[in-house]
Amino acid sequence: MSADPKNEENPTGREEFMSTDEKKYAEDYTLQELLVAAAGREIRDREVVFVGVGIPCLGALVAKLTHAPNVILAVESGCIGPTPYRLMLGIGDNACGENAICVTSLWRAFSDQQRGYFDMGMLGGAQVDKYGNLNSTAIFGVGSYHKPKTRLPGSGGANDIAISAKRTLIMMNQQKRRFLEKVDFITSPGYLDGPGCREKYGYPGGGPAVIISNMAIFRFDEKTKEAYLDSVHPGVSAEDVRKEVTWDLKVSPSLKTTPPPTKEEADIIRTLDSLKIYTGGGLKSLTFENYIKMLNSSHARIKLMFK
Amino acid sequence: MKEGVSPMKAEDTKKSLDKRMTLKEAISKYVFDGCSIAFSGMGGEQVVAPTYEIVRQGQNNLTLMGDSPCEVGDYLVGMGQIKRIEVAWLAFAVAGVSPSYRRAVEEGVPNKIEVREFSNYTMGLRFLAGAMGLPFMVTKSLAGTSVEKYNDMIKVIDDPYEGNKVALVPAAKPDVAIIHANRADILGNTQYIGFSSNAENIARAATRTIVTCEKIVSTDEIKKAPTFTTVPQYVVDAVVELPFCSHPWNMPYAYAYDIPFHMKMMAEIDTADGFKRWMDEWAFGCKDHDEYCEKVGWTRLKKLAQIERKFCKSIL
Repeated sequence: MSADPKNEENPTGREEFMSTDEKKYAEDYTLQELLVAAAGREIRDREVVFVGVGIPCLGALVAKLTHAPNVILAVESGCIGPTPYRLMLGIGDNACGENAICVTSLWRAFSDQQRGYFDMGMLGGAQVDKYGNLNSTAIFGVGSYHKPKTRLPGSGGANDIAISAKRTLIMMNQQKRRFLEKVDFITSPGYLDGPGCREKYGYPGGGPAVIISNMAIFRFDEKTKEAYLDSVHPGVSAEDVRKEVTWDLKVSPSLKTTPPPTKEEADIIRTLDSLKIYTGGGLKSLTFENYIKMLNSSHARIKLMFK
Repeated sequence: MKEGVSPMKAEDTKKSLDKRMTLKEAISKYVFDGCSIAFSGMGGEQVVAPTYEIVRQGQNNLTLMGDSPCEVGDYLVGMGQIKRIEVAWLAFAVAGVSPSYRRAVEEGVPNKIEVREFSNYTMGLRFLAGAMGLPFMVTKSLAGTSVEKYNDMIKVIDDPYEGNKVALVPAAKPDVAIIHANRADILGNTQYIGFSSNAENIARAATRTIVTCEKIVSTDEIKKAPTFTTVPQYVVDAVVELPFCSHPWNMPYAYAYDIPFHMKMMAEIDTADGFKRWMDEWAFGCKDHDEYCEKVGWTRLKKLAQIERKFCKSIL
């Protein structure tokens, strides 16, 4: 979590920016900012990370600006290793190719992942089960796949990421109707029905490592492959979380409290997402004038942060 | 409009030395009732202007093959022009979900559609197979998931060499492909400066390929940087110069994402009535893409181009 001061590949002035406020927690912060920071802390330096949009992507950028300066971000459109001076507004936004080390095609980026070059992938969904299987295809309700209550966008690249990334981070809203014994539809496989299942299908990747929800952090038992409660966010109890999970949730004997964002992390988040597009309701009220203004000012400010 | 027959069988337009035409001509010439159709783009670089033109011309019973379509999926499904989709995803990404897709699947409005689902990678592999002239492609994705379970086009077999499970996906060979690139010459040599999504394979897999581009350049200009040529001329049937084709989406090295415009659209198309109003205004209310740009406002579009130059400068 901390910067490696002996990092030879980063001999420039970055440490100066990093060391001053390091580990000083922000005094006031929002839940979204905590989630961004928590996602960022899952990333290790020099990893290749397949990022999605929104909070996890913001977390990856925070990681790049703090403890993981050599992280390589990759996105589905085929952009690899960008250093964007603005918020990435999607996986095919121009920001994804900005100062990139490689821009290529979609099938090539995914092939690199299937080949085993990608250390981590980021996923989300409408439902998750205790084995980390995710549904982003359809909520059946009383209906079926062909006549669902709610049709969702579908896999996109999620199925591929879940199968081939070395490990995955899952971001979820904590609600009883979303944390299920069984999901309606497995869009993105976690451990399927439990131990040995991924091996049966010869999946190249290792499966989910962590679920970050708005209440807690879950990790997976090495033997049973079941998600257990590892950390609760400040102000949340294990009991609160259990109420929003339908399976019999196991709790880590050394249950932690999720650390808040540091002052440094909070500052970075507020600079990257100055109009709160991902960390607040900023998108709905976004005017064209404010958007252009944001792009103009973020170019100058974020460029400095990457110096 | 032609009924169910692939046109131009006799004419080898791929050998033409000047493939320029208007968008109207290209769409009416190559997009026909009952055809299968594919588009490039991925969370940006979307083929929006041709989508509006297909809405205006009203070709029906289309099969849409794509990875993650946005406007082209939502609009053509909402207009009832689609009978079947073979896709990985259909929505508007950060801006929101696709209300038309939801209405079609949940309520059969305006009509039921057949859905065959894949993932982005495996749709990419389907186009790769099509582009290689092979019947199918093999992948580690899909096996053991519900995506495979609910799609009879996906076959899971034992790898004959190493014995693990692998999934097979069939080649996608659309009747017509429309790809949007940064630049092309009149012969159809097509260059992407930014990411190319699945464009290179979508273009090659199709029977007829329409290239739209931000700018038509000379062949000498193409030859200065041949490694940027993603699609060579012999793949291409038509070239249409179409600046701001992807608006409100971003085009790398050309213009930034107009997400405020997208949010305005999302608020409108949320209901079936709102969708109809949006189409009346932006598809039928404009006779062509020029009028669309006029309506969006050239000042706004130029601002999006101007801001993009600040972030990304191309060597071309």
